[in-house]
Amino acid sequence: MAIIEQEPSIAALPSGAARTAAKPLGAFSRPRNPVGLKNWLTTVDHKKIGIMYGTASLFFLLWGGIPALLLRLQLARPNQGLLSGAAYNQIFTMHGTVMIFLVVMPMGAAFANYLLPLQVGARDVAFPRINAFSFWVFLAGGIMLNTSWFLGGGANGGWFNYAPNNGITYNPGVGIDFWNVGLLIAGIGSLTGAVNLITTVLNMRAPGMSWMRMPIFTWMTLVTQFLLLFAIPVLTVAQLLLLFDRRFDGNFFNVDQGSDPLLWQHLFWIFGHPEVYLMILPAFGIVSEVIPVFARKPIFGYPFMVFSGIAIGFMGWGVWAHHMFVSGIGPLSVTAFAVATMFIAVPTGVKVLNWLATLWGGKLILNTAMLFSIGLVTQFTLGGLSGVSHAVASADTQQTDTYYIVAHFHYVLFGGALFGFYSGLYFWFPKAFGYKLNEKIGKWNFWSMVVGFNLTFGPMHILGLQGMPRRMQTYDASQGFNTWNMVATIGSFILGVATLSILYNALVSYRAWRRAGRPDVGPDPWDARSLEWSIQSPTPEHNFDVSPTVTDLDDFWHHKYQEDDNGVLRRIATGKEVAQPGNGEGVHLPAPSYWPLVLALSFPLIGYGLIFSLWLCIPGVVLLITALYGWSLEPADDLDDDHGHGDHHERELVGANG
Amino acid sequence: MAETTATEDLDHEGAAAAEFADQLNDTPSDFVHHEEHYTSLGLSNMKLAMWLFLGSEVLLFGALISTYLLSKTRFITELVAGNPYVIEGISNGENGALVNEMIAEASVEPLFDIPFTSLSSFILLMSSLSMVLAHKSVTEGNYKNLRIWLSTTMLLGATFMAGQVYEFTTFYREGLTYDGSLLGTAFYTLTGFHGAHVTGGLIMLGSLIYLSFKNKMQMDRAETVELVGLYWHFVDIVWVLIFTIVYLIP
Amino acid sequence: MSESSCHASCVPGDHGDSMEIVKSRTKSRALAGAVGLSLLLAACADDEKPLNTFNPEGPAAQSIDNLIGPIFWIAAVIGVLVVGGGIGLAIKNRVHPDDYDPDDLPPQIHGNPKLEWGWTAAPAVLLIFISVFTVFSIWDLEEKNTPGGGVAACGDTGDLDVLVIGQQWWWEYRYDIDCDGFFEDLDGDGVNNTDVWDADDAEWPLEIALDDDDVSVANEMVIPAGQQIDLTITSRDVIHSFWIPRLNGKRDAVPGRLHTWNLEADFPGEYTGWCTEFCGLSHARMRMNVIALTDSEFDEWLANQSTPADIPPEGSEAAAGRETFQQQCASCHIIWEDGLGKDAIYTGARNEGDADRQGRDFEAALAAKAAPNLTHFATRTVMAGAIYSTYVGLDANDNDLNKGQENETYLAQYNDLPEAIDESDDSLGVLRWNRAQLRRWIRNAPDQKDMAPDDLLGMPAFPGLTDEDLDNLIAYIATLD
Repeated sequence: MAIIEQEPSIAALPSGAARTAAKPLGAFSRPRNPVGLKNWLTTVDHKKIGIMYGTASLFFLLWGGIPALLLRLQLARPNQGLLSGAAYNQIFTMHGTVMIFLVVMPMGAAFANYLLPLQVGARDVAFPRINAFSFWVFLAGGIMLNTSWFLGGGANGGWFNYAPNNGITYNPGVGIDFWNVGLLIAGIGSLTGAVNLITTVLNMRAPGMSWMRMPIFTWMTLVTQFLLLFAIPVLTVAQLLLLFDRRFDGNFFNVDQGSDPLLWQHLFWIFGHPEVYLMILPAFGIVSEVIPVFARKPIFGYPFMVFSGIAIGFMGWGVWAHHMFVSGIGPLSVTAFAVATMFIAVPTGVKVLNWLATLWGGKLILNTAMLFSIGLVTQFTLGGLSGVSHAVASADTQQTDTYYIVAHFHYVLFGGALFGFYSGLYFWFPKAFGYKLNEKIGKWNFWSMVVGFNLTFGPMHILGLQGMPRRMQTYDASQGFNTWNMVATIGSFILGVATLSILYNALVSYRAWRRAGRPDVGPDPWDARSLEWSIQSPTPEHNFDVSPTVTDLDDFWHHKYQEDDNGVLRRIATGKEVAQPGNGEGVHLPAPSYWPLVLALSFPLIGYGLIFSLWLCIPGVVLLITALYGWSLEPADDLDDDHGHGDHHERELVGANG
Repeated sequence: MAETTATEDLDHEGAAAAEFADQLNDTPSDFVHHEEHYTSLGLSNMKLAMWLFLGSEVLLFGALISTYLLSKTRFITELVAGNPYVIEGISNGENGALVNEMIAEASVEPLFDIPFTSLSSFILLMSSLSMVLAHKSVTEGNYKNLRIWLSTTMLLGATFMAGQVYEFTTFYREGLTYDGSLLGTAFYTLTGFHGAHVTGGLIMLGSLIYLSFKNKMQMDRAETVELVGLYWHFVDIVWVLIFTIVYLIP
Repeated sequence: MSESSCHASCVPGDHGDSMEIVKSRTKSRALAGAVGLSLLLAACADDEKPLNTFNPEGPAAQSIDNLIGPIFWIAAVIGVLVVGGGIGLAIKNRVHPDDYDPDDLPPQIHGNPKLEWGWTAAPAVLLIFISVFTVFSIWDLEEKNTPGGGVAACGDTGDLDVLVIGQQWWWEYRYDIDCDGFFEDLDGDGVNNTDVWDADDAEWPLEIALDDDDVSVANEMVIPAGQQIDLTITSRDVIHSFWIPRLNGKRDAVPGRLHTWNLEADFPGEYTGWCTEFCGLSHARMRMNVIALTDSEFDEWLANQSTPADIPPEGSEAAAGRETFQQQCASCHIIWEDGLGKDAIYTGARNEGDADRQGRDFEAALAAKAAPNLTHFATRTVMAGAIYSTYVGLDANDNDLNKGQENETYLAQYNDLPEAIDESDDSLGVLRWNRAQLRRWIRNAPDQKDMAPDDLLGMPAFPGLTDEDLDNLIAYIATLD
């Protein structure tokens, strides 16, 4: 059979024109069968890109976790001087920024990249080169953001970075500029990624993969990508306004000129609240895949799960001002947003109850992936309940900006999202790498994370309600916060070690696997349900030998289990028997390319120029134009390549300037 | 794989799928040989991506326009009297009344030259028409007309941009600087963003014209013209909004 | 009178000692018996959690507590059910991996729409129920914030209007005692501007010109107990948030906006708070104190605050200190004396040569960084953003929030200075000036609290002051009661 994927192109960027075939210039020929580092740098394979997203976000998890431990050390006892106020402010800002933008978001992108094409039965994403570009530009932005540590200090305005404290008057250092420009650049990656993945899901589903047969992870990721598509531009606007204010003497947040500092808050939270949901929804999707597999039952109430996810996506846009209950937005707005916020708990509650109902009557295999999923269900619920108490707006005037909030969002983002991602890592690891992670270490990993997590963030509920505000470099012995802060600090170190132990697990498991002669884990090690398990592990480069035809929700599972003559469900085949053999003959894949990387590198150059001197922008712009030119003149595939029989049709040189 | 049948209670869906599969079986198995790739929505990936991108752009301009509107309540007196003025809260009706009073009392000296901008807006809107005609020409294979209409579109767009530059220069000379006031910052940013989008469109049009003269923009590439057209229409519609909000509504 | 106030203030969490200082210093030397009383209070007043939101002592905080209490209980029940359900199901339904049998499938239930609609509706109903109470509570509390809403008009008994101004990193409180609004009549139309900054001749926030007849205090707000105080909250620079957890929730102080809020303490006592919106470098060192007094004590306090500072007799240590003050400190701090405008200092400070790297003039934004008005400094129990006690001997937390990285030699140099009983402090016996801390502060404030005087944020160091200068200065401000 022939290829399914469309030729790569770059419609997501404006100013694209196209032209019909032309002989490519030698300088623009694509790299061929690169190996080693070059393979990774030039790849357009969604699986490799997904793995790179995952690796990058695990690295940033470490990078953002060390500051968190420093913060906890500083707060372990009252009146400590381990970190000065200046250092503390930079560290908590960078902790939040890194964890949100460079850990949780790319972790979601990692799973989305790896799994979406597999779950919908496609060979790759719609625009493979843009996919590579999305990753590289995210990484470029993330690294650029962090170079601020060496070039004048980290950002110190908090991840929310409220005006006018973020203005040049009160923050003359370059930290805020790095935050601003770095995230703008990373945002480009999120945006192009969203266009790409939405197109993939909407347009490249295997035959028969109708809406209501899509796996829930695919659904949740689709909602997530729509949230990104519409939320990122709002953040971009806020950041551009800030950039104009700081670099070109604009007045958007200049109170002297009559502007209203709440403008920043509105723009930021219109982005920021959908952001919260786009961080948690992929984890919801993962859990909705893992629980049915290990409960050995279909997900309870598939349509409810899908529509509640969509409802969360929609309602997420109408609740942003609940971050601003004490900002002075007026009682009418407070009322409206309080009520709206209450009711976003409804679809979330439906999800939790449906997960429980899936567990009900199941035959549970409590392996590490399943434990992490149950961990999400329980811990996220606690975070959700404290969330409802914030929606009680008058009470929120006591709670907001205290440690109660810190406890709340860590229960949601760590106890929720990160536990979900860990579940996913344990679950899909054999699919990506061909061997399972060690279960024994995995269980240690899980239980130590549960203990460390609850020890760290549980006490923060109490601290907050006892009046300890957030973002405090230190506190005073007379304020009565000593005990619980010490407990939280101890917990945080347990949590730190526990979180990292997955890396140790990967190492141990790899060695054991290698010693055992790299046994084949098989296409379907978990007796799972969705399409990605119907192909060999690790996933062959071409994904599917033939495009699967889907006739059912959990189609793959129904190939394995059918009712016998007595109407009793029986296994009729193992996953191995019905899986595709992994023969990629005749399949043509998009060739690797240098240009996504080159194009992505031009952005931080321009960024440094915006921060230090506009002259520095010139090499960046030159590189940008070169990369666009190279990209558009590059043949979609290498012409000399030997193609499958489906490939003889028109050779397109798609894309042009854009 | 077709031997699999639905076992669950999703019978009607199963039937629909079977029908769908039948349709597929009617076509040659290597349906990708068709001019258009098979896609689930029947819309090309490029076009879908363009629509998504424009959806994202709606939010971009939405945020910018909201910013302008929010700021507008705060510099409204500046518009009429050149007098920076701060009011308490946007929602405060009392202050709103006070501001209205001040406007009524102030000697109105309008900054904007409405007839001039109306003309340039009209020119931009006309370019949308010529863009439609360009697309029509390429689908009909009339490449001469394609070049004519693309050039017309580009010319009209360029005229609009020239008008913008002229207008900016005038305002700047009259004292409306970027950094001097909230009005200046908000006005130049909003219209500047739109101008940048028009410029991007002009570059695209230029590329299309160049390719067309090289005979590389033919019927099989009609979709590219359509995509550029989509973008161009979007930019026009945004201008209609901006013109109304910035220039027409006092 | 003191007896009764002691009785009232012996509620848990009360720091009656500070009140005593405020009162006794106000009444100058009339309260010799306060010493024993203070010790008594110190004994009965050590709740360890002075910011606890579960311990409301004002009607607003109480009403919030009444609302959220049951909601927490409901949430707790749901939490226990769900978490317990999850864990319970996991334990009950688990299958040992060895017992795994691919053919032994559990019942394949795809869902139960009726049930699912049920558990969509049930939380919705519960939330409607909570929403109703929430909405009532929002409007109920909001009503109190309407200027004059339900409260006596300015000038009547039982009305006090206070303008709360946040800045990096301390709070200023302005009492509108003559009821003509908080702001001067800048545009000359004969009406003081109460809700609009009429910036005819100035960029906001340069001029929040103090009305000549009003009173300005810093760090510590003194209020009468049992009365609602109408607050108008704003900021001079970045966003801050005003929060006295035991009396009310918080409200942001946003530059360019005036927010109405209120405070009421049921009993006399000391209530502490913390700035709760991140406001930059020294956010952790921006606290506030509220001291509630009985009506008559409050009137006395206010009358005292409305008088100009005494001018120390010629030739005294204090007089020398006053001279040093005028040379070194008066470009930022004001001490109001007879014949001087109350806000004489607020304009013209720091207006030369300060430009950021892009050449924008700092003046407009930063000249407003007027430092605390020190006119009656000695009646305050806290200083420097309410992080240090002005007096030692009562509070357990003297010198509490030291930065930790203090210069050792510096400390060695100053710690051996006698923290002796201040001779001028004859009324208070064991109460002493926190002299060592004052010295450290005046000599090198940025070493005591994170500030960035080079960026015009906060108080600079004064390495040029001699020990004698410091002694004189401290002697001078000790007279400011």
